[in-house]
Amino acid sequence: MVKEKYGKEIEVKFYEESLCELLFRVRDFVHIGHKLLTHPLSGSIKPNETKFKSVLISKEKSSEKTDLESIQIIENSIGLVKNFPAYEIPNEHFDHLRQIDLILISGAIR
Amino acid sequence: MNLKLGNINIKDIKFGKKASLKDGVLNLVEKELEALVLSDENISSVKFDIAKPGESTRIMPVKDVIEPRTKVSGNGDIFPGVISKVDTVGSGVTHVLKGAAVVTTGQVVGFQEGIIDMSGLGAEYTPFSKTINIVADFTPVKGLTPHKYEESLRKAGLKLAYEIGKLGRDVTPDEVKEYEFLPLLESVQKYPNLPKVGYVQMLQSQGLLHDTYVYGIDMKLSLTTMLSPTEIFDGAILSGNCVSACDKNTTYHHQNNPVITDMFEAHGKTINFCAMIITNENVFLMDKQRSSDWTAKLTKYLGLDGAIISQEGFGNPDTDLIMNCKKVEGMGVKTVIITDEYAGREGTSQSLADADPSADAVVTGGNANQVVTLPPLKKLIGSTSHVEKIAGGFKGNMAKDGSITVEIQAIIGATNEMGFNKMSAR
Repeated sequence: MVKEKYGKEIEVKFYEESLCELLFRVRDFVHIGHKLLTHPLSGSIKPNETKFKSVLISKEKSSEKTDLESIQIIENSIGLVKNFPAYEIPNEHFDHLRQIDLILISGAIR
Repeated sequence: MNLKLGNINIKDIKFGKKASLKDGVLNLVEKELEALVLSDENISSVKFDIAKPGESTRIMPVKDVIEPRTKVSGNGDIFPGVISKVDTVGSGVTHVLKGAAVVTTGQVVGFQEGIIDMSGLGAEYTPFSKTINIVADFTPVKGLTPHKYEESLRKAGLKLAYEIGKLGRDVTPDEVKEYEFLPLLESVQKYPNLPKVGYVQMLQSQGLLHDTYVYGIDMKLSLTTMLSPTEIFDGAILSGNCVSACDKNTTYHHQNNPVITDMFEAHGKTINFCAMIITNENVFLMDKQRSSDWTAKLTKYLGLDGAIISQEGFGNPDTDLIMNCKKVEGMGVKTVIITDEYAGREGTSQSLADADPSADAVVTGGNANQVVTLPPLKKLIGSTSHVEKIAGGFKGNMAKDGSITVEIQAIIGATNEMGFNKMSAR
């Protein structure tokens, strides 16, 4: 839904993977100089109940230094995600979860 | 500001033919309550029930809990900017139907509403097992989006509490508590030798379905600001969120914020409670930066010696909490933070999404991942159809006998981050 709504205005990449894998990916982006713009654990939705998660990062990357605050936030988020046991998210929740992901990221893009 | 809260102790609630409040017995007319909420075209039907302490009753999925109150004298009216017109509240006389609560149920976002058990183990984890609850179970019209449904449910609950509260207008209260919040300079003059302590309340504001309203304004759109704590007693802050049950501050929690009442208790004795700051918990990191900067600036500007900071929610707000703590401490103002933990089922893992050495005075509401088995109860208000799916539930968690195994995050108010719960360690 985020791609449908904002795909033309901003670069939206969609990855089909677990939240943990996505956060590792975001961490990689941060390490090569991109800045984290939104919190990866937005919505106070538990990591094991998260099916769709949009994380906003800066388009520009600094070649000189990585942003320490971004590193700290993404590392702490990864640390917390590991606490939650695997949970099978019921299919009927997918629509709600898609909508919530869109709502949360829209609030930041506004 | 000076506010007198007159508590009318509610001993029983019944449905009858004429609405009244006499000798602590509240009589309500179902048809009148129904007409009140069905005026909203988004609600197709509503069922009312009464749940009393000690009964073998389970209520789920719970959206909000609200205490009926009414303004007897003074400026403005209860729930300003939402149910009544925008006008500054927090002074005069307000009557409280103590021991009564309006509980709204309805499945808004599938997994983010909670459980209230009126007896058994679950009752020990929620404060709303001690109140007599007027439960309104709503069915929305077909095809209604979750955020429209949330809005309708939120307003319906407030309307009910407002109208029920009015029955206490001419009743003599059983006890009266007086709260005085002076202008800063007067307060400093009055208690020159006491440490100046403020309360920084963080409000959930991550987007639709995750919002809190202050005089009707969505807090995510506001900069960090100040108000008198007595305004909150009159319903200036309202819950509009569907985050997990254990650490969401319901409207009832705001109306009875224990940090405020405890600080008033200590005011003039050990501290000078002279400032109340409210701030938000937005998703955008730039907003977090701005709001926490503002919080720190205000604490410095007001000349505070100390601040108590309370959080709402999990994950994203942990970062706001630590930013606030770090920056306020950086201004030379001592802090105590109130939070809760998600430390894994064993309670041994990392418990917050952020940390800092300056957060060296922390009060916790408990570990939300703790697992409990709630015994079967005879009566159900609402539905258990989502018991596997609510936050803290899991597949196969309801046994044949009706008992439910869940993390305590599924129970309303279990690890409340204002400290409105009974969990303690010995």
